[in-house]
Amino acid sequence: MECYSELTCALFVDGELTADAARHLRDHLVTCQRCRDLVHALRAESRVLTESLRELPEEAPSPEAFSHLGFSWVWGDLAMMAAVLTLGSILFVWIDHLEIPGALEWFNPFSLNGLTNLMFNLSYYFAHGGTAMLTEYVAVVGGLFLVVLLGGSVLLLGRRWRLPKNGLGLLIVLLTLSLPSFALERRHEEFVTIAANQTVDDTLLAIGNTVRIEGVVNGDLLAFGRSVEVSGTVKGDLVSFAKRTVVSGSVEGRIYNFSQSLDLDGQLGHSIYGFTQSLRVADRGHVGDGIVAAAGDVSLEGEVKRSVDMLLSGNADVSGSIGRDMTVTGRGLTLTNTARVGGNLTARVRQLEGVHIADGAIIAGKRDVQARVRKSQFARSRFYFRQALSFASAMLVGWLGLILVPGFFRATTQAVGSGWRSLGLGIGVLAGVPVAIVVVAITLVGIPIALMLFAAYLTAIYLAKIWVGAFLGWILLRPTGATKYDWLLGLLLGLLILTIVGFIPYLGGLVRFGIVCLGLGAFAWQLYHASRPAMTA
Amino acid sequence: MDDKGRRLAVKAKQMEERDLESVIERAQGHDAEALGEIHRRYVRRVFGLCRYMLDSRENAEDATSEVFLKLQRSIESYDGSIPFPQWLLRVAGNQCIDVLRRRNRGRRVIVEVEDGVVVEATSSEPSPLAAVISMEERAQLRVAIAHLPENYRLPLVLRYYSELSYDEIAQQLGLRRNHVAVLILRAKQELRRKLAHRSQ
Repeated sequence: MECYSELTCALFVDGELTADAARHLRDHLVTCQRCRDLVHALRAESRVLTESLRELPEEAPSPEAFSHLGFSWVWGDLAMMAAVLTLGSILFVWIDHLEIPGALEWFNPFSLNGLTNLMFNLSYYFAHGGTAMLTEYVAVVGGLFLVVLLGGSVLLLGRRWRLPKNGLGLLIVLLTLSLPSFALERRHEEFVTIAANQTVDDTLLAIGNTVRIEGVVNGDLLAFGRSVEVSGTVKGDLVSFAKRTVVSGSVEGRIYNFSQSLDLDGQLGHSIYGFTQSLRVADRGHVGDGIVAAAGDVSLEGEVKRSVDMLLSGNADVSGSIGRDMTVTGRGLTLTNTARVGGNLTARVRQLEGVHIADGAIIAGKRDVQARVRKSQFARSRFYFRQALSFASAMLVGWLGLILVPGFFRATTQAVGSGWRSLGLGIGVLAGVPVAIVVVAITLVGIPIALMLFAAYLTAIYLAKIWVGAFLGWILLRPTGATKYDWLLGLLLGLLILTIVGFIPYLGGLVRFGIVCLGLGAFAWQLYHASRPAMTA
Repeated sequence: MDDKGRRLAVKAKQMEERDLESVIERAQGHDAEALGEIHRRYVRRVFGLCRYMLDSRENAEDATSEVFLKLQRSIESYDGSIPFPQWLLRVAGNQCIDVLRRRNRGRRVIVEVEDGVVVEATSSEPSPLAAVISMEERAQLRVAIAHLPENYRLPLVLRYYSELSYDEIAQQLGLRRNHVAVLILRAKQELRRKLAHRSQ
């Protein structure tokens, strides 16, 4: 009998031959070695195919990615934002150190409200102080923004060796900003308006009280002002630093928002990255990608195509549709009957009473809503471990200082004793260096120098507590022989006291601020003294 | 000890199956938690299928979301006549084909162009596919599958990932059964060729 074709054998192996035909083939296999081999090979092949496919493509998502806080790109961006905010908050202290209650709010890390209010009220205040003041403010803030973002990116780059997709976007925006040859149109007026019949072909840097875009911006729009309104089209990204930002037209790129309020009533091509008091996507609003935001209150009435990740101090109201996962940490959450979440809903709220999910709301994935029990940091072992680690590293740095530059170390420590002089000088340095950094950075060519200066600045801030700690220990122990070990013991005692005092609510923040100023002042004074003989010589 | 372990494993599996039945029942009564549980268990499987069938990760994610969104309604039509995972993969396959059809503006995804005559592979050498054992080789095989032309890839994936019968595949893709058989065989021949090249 003639042999069977490969097609027939394949049908047989897959169990797709009719019973009759299968029986004939089976009979044939008994006598035919060639067909037997073929059937064996096809069987093995089917098995390999099934098993290999079952192992899934490499990029298969893990359904637990969000609930386990996996370091996906979203968290990369959040980490980046956190880094930016931390660095930013250090630099912003100098803007108004006299406003004590506000400054106190700043030190309360749990109050986003206080933080944003202070920031935006300050910007409002400066804006009302006249154009000249505004210019200065905007230049400073813009520069800070740039430096801080760049610092954050570098930080992240160093940590992960590769930037997440969107982080890279940020970095690219920054780099494009810092390229001197980059086509950039600057508009600096009280009212910057691009009328409906106007088109800006380059990236537009708009600084003014009110920035209004009714026409078309073909590049990115960088807007600083009290009010930024886009009713026309921005083809690139929108970077907005304002009290109020309203987008009723369309932005084809992303929105990087640092406004007190952001309203999106129009079309957005990609994501919103926001640090804002109130964020609203109105019912006609459409976000082509996702939202990553730290905000006060958020209201989503329109459509978000992909994931929403939010860290809120207030409530989130959702009546629109979210294409993918929704992850919220905040006070409360409301999903109305029209809400739709295409993936998992993960919420961490203060109290479950703050969560209202209507029966008609559709959630495709897993619903994970939990009250976040905030354990006191003092009850966590990690906290003590971190403190011990930072304590040990401070001791190590102090010890190195004593070995490498003993004279300088002791002199600086004693300079702390001058009290008001050190404090005043410290505040001056704390406030002045960022300005210098910005001035250097604004020249664009000076960005590397600005970065180095920034690194030195942060180092000096870190060293401050060591000088003050050593000084405190020195006062308390009054070492007679003043050997290295006496100094180290003094440093140990001083740092211990400072660390403990630093944890007193509110007062601790003020104390820490004082320590930074004192130490920085003493350091600067001693640096000046150490360099003067060399200069006069 | 070993035997005990195996018995325990069998028992665990039985429990899981019973558990699945109750989860499905609850999901059919619109229980959000049960739907969430189904999502947790099968989202990877469904995404895997969508990823093999569609051309980009984005589209695959969209399709996966859509499958689970529609599941709230469609699960009512599940009658238990076939295992649930298989049923779910069939739904997902349909979703992907819908997406592809929409992309082709309503035309059929795979157009029958020839009359189903297969060029026989003349060599009687053992298939290189059967020798694919290591993880690395399997990964290579998956890459090769991902790069197959659509008309080969879709039937192959529906057959060996979703484990649909030729009839079901034919119905989903709107083809004749014979043509499906030919396409699957062609797909395998193409894979053999690719892998043989690679191992040389």
